[in-house]
Amino acid sequence: MSTFASQTWWLLQRKLLESWRAPAWIVVALSTPLLYLALFGPLLNSIVGAPGFPPGSSALDIFVPGVLVIVAFGAGMGAGWTVITELDTGVLERLRVTPASRLALLLGPVLRDVVTFVVPAIVVTIAAQPFGYHPDATGTAVLLVLLSLLTIVVSAWSNALSMLLKDIGSLASIVTGLQLPLTLLSGVLLPLEIGPTWMRVLAHANPLYYAVNAARDLAQGSILTTDTGIAFAVVGALAAMTLTWATRVYRSAVA
Amino acid sequence: MDDNARSQPQAHAAIVADGLQKSFRSRTGTVDAVRGVDLAVEAGTIFGLLGPNGAGKTTTLRMLTTLLPIDGGRAEVAGVDVARAPREVRRRIGYVGQAGGADLGATGRENLLLQARLHGLAASDIHDRVTELVDLFELAELIDRPARTYSGGQRRRLEIALGLIHRPSVLFLDEPTAGLDPQTRASLWDHVRALRSGGTTIVVVTHYLDEADQLCDTIAIVDRGTVVTEGRPHELKAALARDTVIVQPRLGPEEVAELRDHLARAVPSTTAVVDGDVVRLAVDDGTATLPAVVEFLRREHVPIDGISLAGASLDDVFLAHTGRSLRDPDPTGSARR
Ligand SMILES: Nc1ncnc2c1ncn2[C@@H]1O[C@H](COP(=O)(O)OP(=O)(O)OP(=O)(O)O)[C@@H](O)[C@H]1O
Ligand SMILES: [Mg+2]
Repeated sequence: MSTFASQTWWLLQRKLLESWRAPAWIVVALSTPLLYLALFGPLLNSIVGAPGFPPGSSALDIFVPGVLVIVAFGAGMGAGWTVITELDTGVLERLRVTPASRLALLLGPVLRDVVTFVVPAIVVTIAAQPFGYHPDATGTAVLLVLLSLLTIVVSAWSNALSMLLKDIGSLASIVTGLQLPLTLLSGVLLPLEIGPTWMRVLAHANPLYYAVNAARDLAQGSILTTDTGIAFAVVGALAAMTLTWATRVYRSAVA
Repeated sequence: MDDNARSQPQAHAAIVADGLQKSFRSRTGTVDAVRGVDLAVEAGTIFGLLGPNGAGKTTTLRMLTTLLPIDGGRAEVAGVDVARAPREVRRRIGYVGQAGGADLGATGRENLLLQARLHGLAASDIHDRVTELVDLFELAELIDRPARTYSGGQRRRLEIALGLIHRPSVLFLDEPTAGLDPQTRASLWDHVRALRSGGTTIVVVTHYLDEADQLCDTIAIVDRGTVVTEGRPHELKAALARDTVIVQPRLGPEEVAELRDHLARAVPSTTAVVDGDVVRLAVDDGTATLPAVVEFLRREHVPIDGISLAGASLDDVFLAHTGRSLRDPDPTGSARR
């Protein structure tokens, strides 16, 4: 293994041990999607077939892929909280004085967030099937890759932002301030096709919108679609940009 | 430092800093945390950075350890330019920050193993090195417990072991003994002295005068972002050529202040200050002045609990160079623009 790969692995292992020792996160991570499925999903049954809904699919076929996008987004958002604790306890400072690669220092926590997305995502995918979710196996695998990239974007961003802000209050207000509009404007809850034009236009500025469109295609097994291509291009480009930016923050942070 | 030394650092200098500067911008204005710090630390010595809160000690250390970009000036640590080759510097130094740096959720052993791996220790060497440090810092009984459960002193020992795992040639310690009991402090000093015997250069930031006095070969007093004086502790005290006459009267606070004024007029002293319930007179020659003080007190019938003569302390050195006592909190706060 190259130095970089092994450094990333050791730093990821530290974070995985941390999650392993505080297993409450799995309850939190599962509660959001399961609550959406239990308390919002049933409302959709009555309006399936309305304009904007693809014909021949069940409410869950449309809804579950969108919920997985919310799970991916949420898995990365929390990264900043640990960063702030580790700034206070000096852990990040200590790690930054080792010759370890700055990208590896960032990827440790970011890849942990990918794991904490993939595990509940698989649970939700399986748990929803008896209730009428019929996902395509290959499509689901590609979907998990796309959404892991989304988790990487959000987690790297949250990591770097908290390095710069250094305080929980400002971080919390930015994170919660973004979460709701991004979710509402992604078409997760209801297809934006049934909304006014301005909403559909505005949604194009929201990366989650592309992820949700592609997620629905992928779950149905339509892998090589335009929506999927666009989503990989948008999320992939964002991942490259946020990782570059966040690594630079780790290199010279005023931390 | 002359120009020659500036361009060609001596081979035995572990740290050379020239005109280091750092400013922080914040909502309330710009803070000039470090305003031109020059340092030359000889290899294999213990170097103390002494100064009040907010003087810029931690900021200086952060620049030397690659944690903060340097705004102005340059620094070389272990023969490597900090700004040009930060990764090379990181290989050669150990750093124990003011906040500590142990991962509290992980066990001591996990902390040490990760640190060893990130420093690229050979897999065959890691186990022996961890065992060696665990024995040296007497951590054997707690090493497999989460660091969260350690006492303050135990945690400090783990953190210093973390800084030493790769046998650095320069070790930076930011207030390593803050909050420790006297016994633990003394044992930490022994560890630091043992490291020096092994050839390691150690930079210690401290608020404690006794620590600077007894532990450090050389100290630099930092105040408001600059080095106000530097030298061996005994030289700094000798250079002051000053003694202190300490008078402890049996009087109330107001009368003590009055006595200070009288003494200041009656005795040729440089400064006369009230320190708690005693009056301290800084004088050029204590043995010559003491009889005059005693004569004055006897003549004026001042009730006395004690009177003593002390040579210059580091606090006097600090007072002489900064106009303030190191034991007082900085009345003006940090230097702001
Ligand atoms: N990241 C930062 N942002 C803004 N100001 C800072 C930052 N770090 C330090 N300062 C300011 O720079 C000045 C020097 O701080 P520094 O931490 O170097 O002091 P210090 O000598 O280590 O003090 P102490 O003994 O209290 O640890 C202080 O006024 C501090 O408020
Ligand atoms: Mg400090």
